[in-house]
Amino acid sequence: MAVLEEPVREVQLVRNYIDGEWVESAGEMREVTNPATGRVIARVPASTGSEVAAAVRAARAAFREWRSTPPAARVRYLFRLKELLEENFEVISRIQTQEHGKVIDESRGETRRGIENIEVACGIPSLMMGYNLEDVAAGMDEYAVYRPMGVFGVIAPFNFPFMVPLWSAPYAVATGNCIVVKPSDEAPLSQMKLTELVEEAGFPPGVWNVVNGREEVVSGLLDDPDVAGITFVGSTGVARFIYGRCGAAGKRCLANGAAKNFILVMPDCDVDNTVVALLSSFFGNTGQRCLAGANLVVVGDDDRFYKDFVDRVVAAASRIVVGYGLDEGVQMGPLKGPEKKERVAGFIESGLAQGARLLLDGRRPAIRGGYPATCFLGPTVFGDVTPAMRIAREEIFGPVMSIMRTRSLEEAVALANASPFGNAAAIFTTSGKTARDFQYRVAAGNIGINVGIAAPMAFFPFGGMKDSFFGVLHAQGREMIRFFTDVQVVIQRWF
Amino acid sequence: MRLNTASAVIAFAGRLEEEAAAFYERLATAHPARASRFLDLARENRKNKARIERSYYGVITDAIEGSFTFDLAVDGYTLDPGLPADYRQALAQAGALEERIIRFYREAARQSRALLADIPGVMAAIARKREARVAELESLARETQGPGHFGGTTLHGREDAR
Repeated sequence: MAVLEEPVREVQLVRNYIDGEWVESAGEMREVTNPATGRVIARVPASTGSEVAAAVRAARAAFREWRSTPPAARVRYLFRLKELLEENFEVISRIQTQEHGKVIDESRGETRRGIENIEVACGIPSLMMGYNLEDVAAGMDEYAVYRPMGVFGVIAPFNFPFMVPLWSAPYAVATGNCIVVKPSDEAPLSQMKLTELVEEAGFPPGVWNVVNGREEVVSGLLDDPDVAGITFVGSTGVARFIYGRCGAAGKRCLANGAAKNFILVMPDCDVDNTVVALLSSFFGNTGQRCLAGANLVVVGDDDRFYKDFVDRVVAAASRIVVGYGLDEGVQMGPLKGPEKKERVAGFIESGLAQGARLLLDGRRPAIRGGYPATCFLGPTVFGDVTPAMRIAREEIFGPVMSIMRTRSLEEAVALANASPFGNAAAIFTTSGKTARDFQYRVAAGNIGINVGIAAPMAFFPFGGMKDSFFGVLHAQGREMIRFFTDVQVVIQRWF
Repeated sequence: MRLNTASAVIAFAGRLEEEAAAFYERLATAHPARASRFLDLARENRKNKARIERSYYGVITDAIEGSFTFDLAVDGYTLDPGLPADYRQALAQAGALEERIIRFYREAARQSRALLADIPGVMAAIARKREARVAELESLARETQGPGHFGGTTLHGREDAR
């Protein structure tokens, strides 16, 4: 199969978009590399504090007029943006594969998820409505109004560089706020394409700003008193830090952190479909997603089922085709960078050192197309994993499956609930009662029942529990609308 | 050749539809008396291509197993684009082509039935609709000279993919 054409053919100079203008940053530049080919595809700045401040000022200045723009008029910009995204769907998807490494099916899935959030936000004229009650006392009425708050910062991760900012941005602007987006400095190009389309859609200057960079941009957003709140997706350490800083400054915050997701397999599962779903869960996006399966728990004391099932999984994983994601025959791409590969390889070493049994070793994968091995690891499967091992406890963020075994569902749920993380959990079974028991007892924000990637649609909230999430309201849908608005209650009477 | 991803399968389906459309366009040119019907078939092929792509682009997300669902050997589905000079043979060629496309859609739908949302349903629907085409081509062949024989399998007894 041929490799699809690359939309990014020359090194792109990434600029900021502030107050409706594209501006070059004075900050130091770093290179963005296509992890599959090793080629440099962009140079992205580490923007300075003063550049962040300029973006916040522009957003603050635009806010007054934007908040008084009728909601029905505000969402027309989003309708136009949605149309432009549909027209550019394939280009945006291929850019994601170039900048991140994910395979083209995954990139298209990410593009679709992002667009779905814009579609939901287009319903703001209805979704943002308040409520009222006549005659709360004789001759007195009362009503509640949801109002925008000002300027929000949107901080994006590298693993879903296009989609995650769209968990927030369309809801923020549709509700009448203005935003400053900080794209991932490791994968900024799909956000740059999105920003070009934002400009083409005609948003007023200052409503949607983009500042590229690293810690200094984050600090600038956290420290600026004109920033009303932050949305963030990343590691638990940084999520906790940002949540604390926002709390101290009185800002709203929604911070998604790390995960260690447990996937339970019951002996009554549909084996054929379960095996395929597990491949997607553990090895899709090369394991670099917060909803990825991490620990596979095979439940029950049927030794024969256990052995046959594990053999099936290992055999299927060993057939996964690894290579450049623009090759339509490739099922798993590289990790985003060599340091990420080294980190995952370190976990594999740790698993071996702590006594886990290596059933499939991905450290020397066959790479289709002969691309450099710099960022590639193949699917890796460990058996005989115990809860105390590092590979069972810590987020690996790579294509590593750790297989554990419990005698009962109760034991498996207890194992999952003992984890400090609670982002997602899934069960594969044909028993409704077993599935219901699992869902009821397990402490995780996103539950899959015969679904390995429990990714909520845009009209449902996305968020974990425990150390996987810091905040109250979650990303996407109605909760996001509440996050971006303050409620004002009016009680009135007329003499 | 084996296809293992949704992207590859959708692209292959598009190529089949395009090649079949081009075949019917050549058939229309070669046999002007039936040109209008053959051009309709070509248009319908391109609509099928658009429909399959729309279903894929409309539902592809990370909740469905796009990269891992298929293991589809497609050598048996490739088309012979040659157009026989003889009208009856050309109709037989068209029938064989349709049967191959039906088999492809049925197998792709079967493999993805539980995992790919709307896509297998659309594939199965296109396969079902194509059965009428085969019957129509057989009928055209009969009009030309006696009972037609397309050399392929009959449509009876095929398992419906849905």
